[in-house]
Amino acid sequence: MQVNTYFKSHFSFLTVVYVLLLSGCQSTPANKSAILLAQQGEFESAKQAIRTDYSPVGKSKLLHYLELGMLNHLQGNYQRSNELLNEAQQIIEDQYTISVSERALALVSGPTYTTYAGKIYHRPLINFYKALNYNALANQSDIDRQAYLDSALVEMRQLDTYLSGLKDRTGGYDDQDQPSGLDSLTEQINNITRPLFAPNDLLKDIEYKDDAFAHYVSGILFERSEELDSARIQYQRAIQAFEGGFAKQYAISDSIVSQIKRDLLRVMEQAGGYDSEVFALRKTLNITKSTQPQPVLNIFQNIGIGPQRKQFNLLLRADKEAKALVMTPILWGTQHEQQAQMRWFQMLYADTSLFDLMQNYATGDIGDVAMGALTKRIPLGPIWDDAVDIGLISALEYGSRISVTYLEPLKQQIKRSEVWVNNKKIADLDKIYSVSLLTLQDALNNANSEIQIALARELVKALTAQKAISATGLNSQFSGFAKFATSVVNAVTASADLRQWQSLPAQVNYVQLPISKGKHVITLKTHLTSGQVIEQSETIQVLDEITLWHTRTFLEQTRVATPESTFL
Amino acid sequence: MKCNKTLLKLTPLFVACTLAVSGCSSTKVQRVDANQEVALSDKWNAKDSQLVAEAMINDMLSFPWVNDHLQREGSKPAIIIQSVRNKSHQHIAVDTFLNDLKRSILRSGQADFVANKDVRREIREERKDQELNSSLETQNEMGQEYGADYALSGTINSFVDEQGGDRVTFYQVDLRLIDMTTNREVWNGQKKIQKLQERSRFGF
Repeated sequence: MQVNTYFKSHFSFLTVVYVLLLSGCQSTPANKSAILLAQQGEFESAKQAIRTDYSPVGKSKLLHYLELGMLNHLQGNYQRSNELLNEAQQIIEDQYTISVSERALALVSGPTYTTYAGKIYHRPLINFYKALNYNALANQSDIDRQAYLDSALVEMRQLDTYLSGLKDRTGGYDDQDQPSGLDSLTEQINNITRPLFAPNDLLKDIEYKDDAFAHYVSGILFERSEELDSARIQYQRAIQAFEGGFAKQYAISDSIVSQIKRDLLRVMEQAGGYDSEVFALRKTLNITKSTQPQPVLNIFQNIGIGPQRKQFNLLLRADKEAKALVMTPILWGTQHEQQAQMRWFQMLYADTSLFDLMQNYATGDIGDVAMGALTKRIPLGPIWDDAVDIGLISALEYGSRISVTYLEPLKQQIKRSEVWVNNKKIADLDKIYSVSLLTLQDALNNANSEIQIALARELVKALTAQKAISATGLNSQFSGFAKFATSVVNAVTASADLRQWQSLPAQVNYVQLPISKGKHVITLKTHLTSGQVIEQSETIQVLDEITLWHTRTFLEQTRVATPESTFL
Repeated sequence: MKCNKTLLKLTPLFVACTLAVSGCSSTKVQRVDANQEVALSDKWNAKDSQLVAEAMINDMLSFPWVNDHLQREGSKPAIIIQSVRNKSHQHIAVDTFLNDLKRSILRSGQADFVANKDVRREIREERKDQELNSSLETQNEMGQEYGADYALSGTINSFVDEQGGDRVTFYQVDLRLIDMTTNREVWNGQKKIQKLQERSRFGF
């Protein structure tokens, strides 16, 4: 039985060694610990944890500024938060120029040796939180109020420039139904054969192409400053992106799009000159006549903590009989984590597609067809002899560890959240943005390239070690020991890049309410699936036509305290 | 002999490490002339503020309203800066720009400035304090303030066009001067700055 060959004694021993090594790799990252401390209201300890583990000048300096920026935002230190987020933004912009030497070093060492550049969706979020900070500062200051409001709009303009560039690169959500250029028969055949060449249909349409949420927030802020043309354009862009695919991609409800259409109708009526558009919008929204504009309160509820990236390990070895490289997952951690690792592997890498099973069958081992869900096989076929000649097969005699990331499964903890004004329930909030789904889709999108790069890196390391053994003459005297030792060394240095902006919320809920000017007690009641209800209340003063109230709701706080909130 | 060969093989590694370490130079600070432009990016900088202020004030004082006022009133016109709104995509220290504007006007000697609302409030507080605590000879009277004849206001706008590593940033500063008695716009000035920033995709 072929399966028995997997577990030859040295493999078993090496696997034990890997498992022992892995036991040190599953500790909670400092930024996760920090946001858990912040959840309990221990902000100073949280900030200290970040300062201790993320230097402001090291490879992870971006996390230093992002996490401290968010912690200060939650604490209400808006000016300081913006200073830190400005630094973070500058670091991201500087990463446009790729350091070749750093990449070369990463190729033989690991992705953690590169300067962390953040994720593509982090830049809009930086502008979003900076804008919220400026709005909060405007509310706290009489003298500089206008300057702070202008600064919030500066952020929105920067955001617009960034999103324009992003749309240029990705095409945005404008070209969803564009024909492929193929005739219909070719298109049909292509659809049938596509799974053979790209079996993972899972990875379709999960690219971050544009940000409808960011456009909408821009629209609100421009409308607040009575820049009606800019507000109209941003509302239109938000509607286009939501309807073009953003809502479907991130599971956003239709009620959000209806709300934006009502906002668009309002600014068009105020600006004047859009009769035909106003008529069409009224028809869509089933509104018969124009209503008297009244002050509105926009509530943004940031909920929970985004999912954590974790490390997942695979054992790479050469199967001489099938002339293939074989990757087998090494499950580690709690039972829950092991299940998640196996599902991630089966979802993304395992030979579970018809194409993969056929490949396994073609290599002549029926056993592997059955093992498909537990392995990933890369048949080398005609290049096997080349691999033997360059020493690759020999280098993999004791296997090699490959580390990639996986995302902990998303928890559905929130049943619903509702807003009460002056002790009267007014409305439910709807999800408008999902950082969890953004993170998941980004991880899925990068999974293939990540494992390919990790595979290449470990092969280069194994080969380099093999050549070093040969060059130093150890090959003849201590062949087995030297190879084993280098395998262990390579296993120690193999690590996935788990860095991420951890203090982001899991999702953002939103609602807009008509409200009268004056003082109101706003209460948010968040109903969890566990039956628990989290209540947050704050008295706010409505002065303007457009008001924003922003809060963070932590789901697992043990200390009863008024959560930090941001009345804007 | 074997040891020498190993050493030989390791030499390139040592060289690479030395080069890498030499790249990690420590922080260096040098004093430069405040008038010298140090453009590290395409962002609005001190030189832009200074050049725009000088150019716009020169333009403003070349218009006929200055002489008209002198002939009519027999004194230099007094100007107050209302607001200059930043509607650009960059955070611009508007106060610095306003100070550059004031310096340019005062240096010309053709107009006076009246303090803005916040400064006036502080000065009035000081005068109230003088009434209580200063000697009669050194007290300054209330109600003797110099009223402004003209109000200066404006906006800073910008447009950005970006493609890959290339970015063109266009700043436009618009200022206007309003006669506070008649609401006539006696001057309208405009100054444009365009900057090109090129970044390479790869570096060492």
